[in-house]
Amino acid sequence: MNAPTGLDFASISDRVQTEVQRAIQRSIKGVEYFSTSGPTLGSTPKDVLLSRGTLQLYHYRPLADEIYRVPILIVMATTNRGYILDMVPGQSFIEFLLKRGYDVYMMDWTAPKPEEKSLRMEDYVLDFIPDCVRKVQEDSGVEDVTIIGYCFGGVLSLLYGSIFHDGPMKNLICFTTPIDFSEMELFSNFSDRRYFDVDRLIDSTGNMPPELILQSFDMLRPASRAVGQIQLWENIWNDEFVKSYKMFDRWATDILPLAGEYFRTITKDLMWDNKLFNGTMTVGGRPAQLDKIKVPILHAVAEHDHIVPYDAAKHLIKKVGSTDKEEVMLKGGHVSLVAGPNAVRRLWPKLDSWLGGRSI
Amino acid sequence: MADKSNDPVAMWQNMIGEMEKGFNSFANQTMSSPEFSKVMNQVGGVAAGAQKQLGELMEKYLVSMNLPSRAQMVGMAERLQSIEGQLNDIKAMLTQMSKASGVATAGPSTQMPPRTKRPPSAEGEQK
Repeated sequence: MNAPTGLDFASISDRVQTEVQRAIQRSIKGVEYFSTSGPTLGSTPKDVLLSRGTLQLYHYRPLADEIYRVPILIVMATTNRGYILDMVPGQSFIEFLLKRGYDVYMMDWTAPKPEEKSLRMEDYVLDFIPDCVRKVQEDSGVEDVTIIGYCFGGVLSLLYGSIFHDGPMKNLICFTTPIDFSEMELFSNFSDRRYFDVDRLIDSTGNMPPELILQSFDMLRPASRAVGQIQLWENIWNDEFVKSYKMFDRWATDILPLAGEYFRTITKDLMWDNKLFNGTMTVGGRPAQLDKIKVPILHAVAEHDHIVPYDAAKHLIKKVGSTDKEEVMLKGGHVSLVAGPNAVRRLWPKLDSWLGGRSI
Repeated sequence: MADKSNDPVAMWQNMIGEMEKGFNSFANQTMSSPEFSKVMNQVGGVAAGAQKQLGELMEKYLVSMNLPSRAQMVGMAERLQSIEGQLNDIKAMLTQMSKASGVATAGPSTQMPPRTKRPPSAEGEQK
């Protein structure tokens, strides 16, 4: 029965009962939360094809009886672990690709050691990626390779593709890849050349400490971590929510340091001088101009991406020289674009429908 | 089902969401100023310097305790890395040799399915 105020007392009573039950569950599950670890992540069976310091090249074992001719090489962002693309069965992008008949390789990163502080952009673009492409070619016996780059992995893939434009890259897929760094307003302000002495920082720390990277990510949305804790407490009775929270929280805080010289170049060439956007970028003296890329390209961007805002990513499709090119904007944020229920429904099927016909 | 506008839990969640948006937006505006960058980087520079000094102090302390120094551990890690690299090279060489001689290896690469898959539309069916 509805009261004149519009309040439904019967449903309020039910709601109170539910909330009391949840409060009891919170106390029980709250203890469980701290006493149990999260689900095992990144468990899709794989072999390590190459291990070179910070670089690991994985080959995932096939899950289909028949696979596409062209293998995929995923280039993960250097600040983050690759298991965001291989969370748990049913929520793993890698597993999805394997089941759809793709042959999948991934360049993943471990924390660069102090002695790897001298790794430069050249090492990543002119050595690591070409070396992995060669290994993929040898292992698969196929000349062509599709490259998928996530976030800064996309930037590395673009640099590789623009320098080795006559190379074996058959298709390029970028997820949330910035090219106009002046539009990453807060990062630009944090690294303002008048106040941010990158040389002093790197000369004193060697590698860029992961704590500073995590802090700068957190500062983009300073209230969100606290609100996340509140939401966790509210939903701690819900096992699925807690499982998902643990997975994403673990990944988001599992930040890798960046090799010192590499970070110095990112700051000076990309953040300060915006060279990739301006067409003046060089890597090891070799020009890296986006219009040299002619292969089919798909760029997936997220509508609510707070790390790589759309303005920082939107020029990519215009700048590349490909004729077969597409940008797709999907609902979600920087991470939910590629992982989680949103990605399962939106990005993954889109990518499969785009890539299948280009992988034969 | 209760009307969301009258549901105190939904109202609380909505309020938290709005507070989050408001605070983030306010903080973003503040952090966009050059003054913020100046102060942040001054504080960050001091912290980085202090961290370096602390690291050096710890190194001296470990040496005085007759524990392996960081440099020694790094040296060992480098040797292990070099051994790993050589093992990988030997493995790759063996794979190449076995491929060249036509002998099947036990590795997963030899068990790959055929690369004949066509996209569902090309096959005229939806899988």
